[in-house]
Amino acid sequence: MKHITKIYGTLKANDDVHLSLNKGEILAVIGENGAGKSTLMKILYGLEQPTEGEIWLDGELQHFRSPHDAMRKKIGMVQQHFMLLDPCTVAENIVYGNEPRRHKLFFDREKAVEITEQLCEKYGLHIDPRLLVKDCPVGLQQRVEILKVLYQNADIIIFDEPSAVLTPQEVAELLKTMKRLAEMGKSLIIITHKLQEVMEVADRVMVMRLGKYITEMDKSATNIEEMSFLMVGRHLVERKVEPQPTGARVLDVRDVVLAGSEGKNILDGFSIHVEAGEIVGIAGVSGNGQSELIQCITGLLPVDSGKIELDGKDITNKTVGEIRAAGCACVPEDRYHWGCARKATLAETAIMAHQYEPALSAHGLLNDRGIKAFTARLLQEYDVRNSGQSQKAGELSGGNIQKLIVAREVEQNSPLLIAAEPTRGLDIGAMEFIHGRLLDKRQKGDGVLLISSELTEIMTLSDRIYVIYNGKAVGEFTRASATEEKLGILMMGGKLDEKAV
Amino acid sequence: MKKQSDKAPGGAQQWFANAGKALRQPLVATVFGLLIGAVVILVCGQNPLLVYAEMFKKSFLEPYYLVSTLTRATPIIICAMATAIAWRAGYINIGVEGQMVTGTFVATICALYIPGPPILVAVLAWLIGMIAGALYALLPAVLNWKFGVTMVITTLMLNYVASYITSYFVTYPLKDTSGDGMALQTKQIAKALCLPRLSAKTTFNAGFIVAILVTLVMIFITRKTVFGYESKMGGYNPAFARYGGTRQTRVMVITMALSGGIASLAGCTEVFGLKYRYADSMLTSTSYAWTGLMAALIAGLDPVGMFVASLFLAGLQIGGSAIQRSMGIPLEISTIIQCCITLFVSVKLVFRFVRHKKVPAAPAAPVPQETAKGGQTQ
Repeated sequence: MKHITKIYGTLKANDDVHLSLNKGEILAVIGENGAGKSTLMKILYGLEQPTEGEIWLDGELQHFRSPHDAMRKKIGMVQQHFMLLDPCTVAENIVYGNEPRRHKLFFDREKAVEITEQLCEKYGLHIDPRLLVKDCPVGLQQRVEILKVLYQNADIIIFDEPSAVLTPQEVAELLKTMKRLAEMGKSLIIITHKLQEVMEVADRVMVMRLGKYITEMDKSATNIEEMSFLMVGRHLVERKVEPQPTGARVLDVRDVVLAGSEGKNILDGFSIHVEAGEIVGIAGVSGNGQSELIQCITGLLPVDSGKIELDGKDITNKTVGEIRAAGCACVPEDRYHWGCARKATLAETAIMAHQYEPALSAHGLLNDRGIKAFTARLLQEYDVRNSGQSQKAGELSGGNIQKLIVAREVEQNSPLLIAAEPTRGLDIGAMEFIHGRLLDKRQKGDGVLLISSELTEIMTLSDRIYVIYNGKAVGEFTRASATEEKLGILMMGGKLDEKAV
Repeated sequence: MKKQSDKAPGGAQQWFANAGKALRQPLVATVFGLLIGAVVILVCGQNPLLVYAEMFKKSFLEPYYLVSTLTRATPIIICAMATAIAWRAGYINIGVEGQMVTGTFVATICALYIPGPPILVAVLAWLIGMIAGALYALLPAVLNWKFGVTMVITTLMLNYVASYITSYFVTYPLKDTSGDGMALQTKQIAKALCLPRLSAKTTFNAGFIVAILVTLVMIFITRKTVFGYESKMGGYNPAFARYGGTRQTRVMVITMALSGGIASLAGCTEVFGLKYRYADSMLTSTSYAWTGLMAALIAGLDPVGMFVASLFLAGLQIGGSAIQRSMGIPLEISTIIQCCITLFVSVKLVFRFVRHKKVPAAPAAPVPQETAKGGQTQ
């Protein structure tokens, strides 16, 4: 790819970027969020057309108008959010788009299974073709995605943030798969900001910042410190979290049960507590009851049995409004589903759950000046890049809207803050910033419940860590006793040896 | 201070950009609607430009027709507001017609049978009418809240219920038998209870002032109240509003009650300002509620926009009937234009939907938004 420039409105998402890829090589494209990595890949995959620049493939100039064109030229992409049909089998998903047929009309299910088995054999990626996708864990679903791309005969495979949703064990498996594919002559591009993984698999590293090509180098010629410096443009200080004494329990969840639809409990006698002045992390593979736990505590879902106490008050099955008033703020896991409305302005986003504060309204009437000042303060103090308070929330980048949501919830000044996936998909700079705010909150003597599928995040910030598996708290660690291996095993439903605990 | 002045131009620019974006779709739709109307006029063998000029003259330029347009616009404006207050909160109330019929009928009955000083009776009749309309709108709200019945369906079906029940009343027990006894209508209400005329020779009456007041109240509610904020957020994203701790049942109840209450005002202006009695299907055959709904759609639920759009649609109807008389173009031409405009405005929803479907592959803009600085430095 040569001289790629992509302009959205007044914004240069890609500015004269070059990218080259050799056969059988793994290239890592790294950069902060909003550095233009995804845009560049979308151009290569035909999802977007470049404003300027050319794509050359094997010495031929290409014009991709859609992913179809790219697929025909053997370029495939493993999306960050899987595009799979959940109620169908693995085999059906893999052949989807180019199904084997009987008499040119009927879908040939046996043939599909056979094709899948051959693919699995060929690339050494094992999976049962007859499994339903919705029954597969995330790691296997990703494998289905990869097989789908391989079925389309791709020679160049783009991985967009492939490890974001995986457990450490699954990540290790994925990295092995990548290396094997490269050995078989496939060329891989991984977009990521996890430098550890880059060091493990990549042959070459390309760095982007603010839409521009910064540099590229062989992996052997660089190290993590240099890469993170190049990505962010400054040195990051490693965070040291000093231990501090804790106070009374601000949150006490006891034996909470939430029944699921099929006789299986989503939360199955779940008990944890959070003390004042500590950050408690909940580690787990997503889908083990974390979302429901948050919704139960915040009052969005009623629990079937058990007790939840906030600051000594019983808040079990109270309304969201009552629980917020009792002192619970929450950074939701899905910023666009719960955290904001895309069409709402920044001011409207900022004042949610603050709207009854005397500075913002009186007798049911909004105080425009107060709202303006409040929003301005949040935008400034939390470094939300914006083009005015009447800008729409949906127009901000993910990191900026997240900062605004964090600002809104931290400013509740509540004794308990729930932070669910507070930095999902964010770049290092924004992540650092949000971590800083969470630690400030802890410093002030408030309790923070941190729920994240990002183990590193949990391990850096938390004073205590619980592991959630199948709706149960299956392990409790102090900062000192937790290791990535132990957590990983419990997250997968394994057991620890007696002496390991 | 400096920060403020830095931001001001950006804010103003943003405002203009937003306003431009908001106006583009209705304007384009109107042009397309008129173009299709032009084709139909051509088929009728007339010159579209002449016909449109005549229509415009016969709806807005000549004083007699202008006041007819304003009279016609009155219930349409109020119906648009009634529709919008529910829709913006995410409650698709298409039962404004039924709520209007119920409220107006009850108000008329009150005006006919409650004794007392005229002013008091008039005020009481309007208030009771509003309460009746509000209760009628609450019926689907409660069904939705308790049993999860889709409000679109219940509100729509309750239109027929209201219409047939009032039909029964004016056909049998409450029919006016004083005249020839042929018309299905109630007795005439006392002159002293009616709204004053605003011009001597026409039917233009104080109902239009009511419409302006309703618009002002609507602007106030949407921009200045906590309720307006909460209901708007609920309309944008119900999950967000719930997570933020707003009391959604309360918001729904108030919203629907307001919607029904405002709807009955629309019919009251018609009875108390124009007809002085309730006649069978007087509010349904004129399709005020549906024209109001179109105005609300065209204006994207913006109060000022709805006011203007209602005037425009009323003008189209008045102009349409004028040219039917003078040029032999069927009245339906205005219906065609009206529907085409609405259709073209609705296309926007489809476009948005399509774009929305494509976006999830890339949830966020790839580069943080800088304030408008032009290009970036090297």
